[in-house]
Amino acid sequence: MNLGNNLDILTITFYGSAILLILIGLYAALVKRSLIKIVIGLSIIDSGVHLLLVSIGYLQGGTAPIFSPAVIDKNPVMVDPVPQALVLTAIVIGFAVTAVALALVIRLYRHHKTVNIDEIKNLKW
Amino acid sequence: MVGTPVQLIAIPLLAAFLMPLLGKAWKELVRITPGVVLVYLLYLSVNLLSYTIDNGRIVEMIAGWSPPWGINLVFSPFSGFLATLMLFMGLIVWIYSYRFKKIEDYDDYEPTIKYYLLLMMLITASVGIVLTGDIFNLFVFIEILGITAYGLTAFYRGRDGAEAAFKYLFIGSFSSVLLLLAIMIIYSQLGTLNMADIAQKAGELKPVYKISALVLFLVALGIEAEMFPLNGWAPDAYSQAPAPVGAAFAGVVVKAGLYTIIRLIYTLFDVGGTYEYLIVMGMVTMVIAEFAAISQNRLKRMLAYSSIGQMGLVLVAFGIGKEEGVFAALFLMFNHAIIKGLLFLSGSYLVYHSKDKYLSELNGIGKIMPLTSFLFALAAFAIVGFPPFAGFWSKLAVLTAAADSGMLLIVGLILSVSVIEVVYYLRVVNRIYFVKRETDVEIQKPTPQAMLSMLVLGAIIIAVGFYPDVITGILHKASAALLDKTTYINEVLSQTIN
Repeated sequence: MNLGNNLDILTITFYGSAILLILIGLYAALVKRSLIKIVIGLSIIDSGVHLLLVSIGYLQGGTAPIFSPAVIDKNPVMVDPVPQALVLTAIVIGFAVTAVALALVIRLYRHHKTVNIDEIKNLKW
Repeated sequence: MVGTPVQLIAIPLLAAFLMPLLGKAWKELVRITPGVVLVYLLYLSVNLLSYTIDNGRIVEMIAGWSPPWGINLVFSPFSGFLATLMLFMGLIVWIYSYRFKKIEDYDDYEPTIKYYLLLMMLITASVGIVLTGDIFNLFVFIEILGITAYGLTAFYRGRDGAEAAFKYLFIGSFSSVLLLLAIMIIYSQLGTLNMADIAQKAGELKPVYKISALVLFLVALGIEAEMFPLNGWAPDAYSQAPAPVGAAFAGVVVKAGLYTIIRLIYTLFDVGGTYEYLIVMGMVTMVIAEFAAISQNRLKRMLAYSSIGQMGLVLVAFGIGKEEGVFAALFLMFNHAIIKGLLFLSGSYLVYHSKDKYLSELNGIGKIMPLTSFLFALAAFAIVGFPPFAGFWSKLAVLTAAADSGMLLIVGLILSVSVIEVVYYLRVVNRIYFVKRETDVEIQKPTPQAMLSMLVLGAIIIAVGFYPDVITGILHKASAALLDKTTYINEVLSQTIN
């Protein structure tokens, strides 16, 4: 395990792709004019953050953090289970938020007959 | 003791998910159950609060995992006071919503079930935010609060609720991402999620991580607490949501967001300049919101901007710091909950059938709906801080705290902003009583339950105005509990499995 100044290629891949996902999501959420694409963008940002969170707990060559006599004897390197538990929870929350968002999009579509946010502006002041 | 803090979260959660089943058994149960649950929880919370005021914090471990590994709940005079306030406002909102026409005026029973389900979840999440001692648990509760708030904002099909809710959801999603990133930074550096443990180890955190986590937290939570410039969702959500929900937002949701900011700044991070940041952001929020409020021609938007302005004042008071500032901020939070609650509840009956809720439709309504108008005027006088109402004492407390800290510029600014506040509230009161009625919008008599809830709030405003001592004792204990960081850490971390 040689973190620090000489980051290994796997770590860079994890962190890099997480940041890339966040940027793609941000682009979709902020630039696209379709409500559906905005919801997809928000969901992609979520995925990026989840990947980032899992990467923190990752150790190269680490095994699953399950304690059993056979595993303990070999004195293995284990990955941190806490970020994984957090991400599981965060995925469920993200799912719920996406579901609510899509329900709202359906409501908006029925009301305005469009999903383009430029045409939905009853509340602009 | 009658119960433990975990019941304050578990019981409303259970009640929320029982709603559809109860509706199948006997429809009236859906209306009655939330009230019974809230009365019990309020009783429990008041009991726990009086216990903690005498004996110090209650720290409860969940599932037998001792801190810092497990999730723990902390019922201190500070968090307990806010939980009690939230439950009380929840009860008021329930009384007001009981057989509220606009929620129940459908052929089927579905909307009532959904409404009470969301309301109970809202209360669960808010109380959870205040009581939890674990930052990831905090994140989960904030998300639950967000989802229920989106649902309640979009509750009416006919209005533009979905548009307001989508705006709220959009900004709320960013908030949750930032919150998760902040939690991640803290966990990767300190390896713990327990608030007391983080507070203890915060010194080991490198400044760059500390500041970036703090900034992420402040931006994320500023959205929930209506801090400028993250409050774009608030006027839309307040004006589109059902009337009782507006009161719940002002009394419960915003309080939860503010609580989190304060807990983070006072307990978790001690970074120089944060207090000044709070003062500056509070002032900016206040000035912009009050100027926006004076230019509104719709009642609910005006109340929403005024609500944002009040939150700015609370931030300023917290920024002043020390025992005095915290006391003033808590007093303001209490007053804002009851007074803005009354403004939303009575105001929405004044413009009940009006489509756009223009202020001009209030003309001369004082003669037609004397009692409701009187309560609205009472709340308007109270919120601008006229003696002898409750609002006067909290504003006085802020001004004294600022003056004692030598911040005379702030005293001046608060006073001049109050003048704006007086102008636009008195303008409405003037319309209600002294302008001739022109519109022919139908009038809706409040239900007896709604009247009861408004009268209770009005009575509290007058009672606290004449006898502020009934509340200040608790507030002093609460502010002392917030400022006493060392015992907080010790009491939480000394818990072990019995």
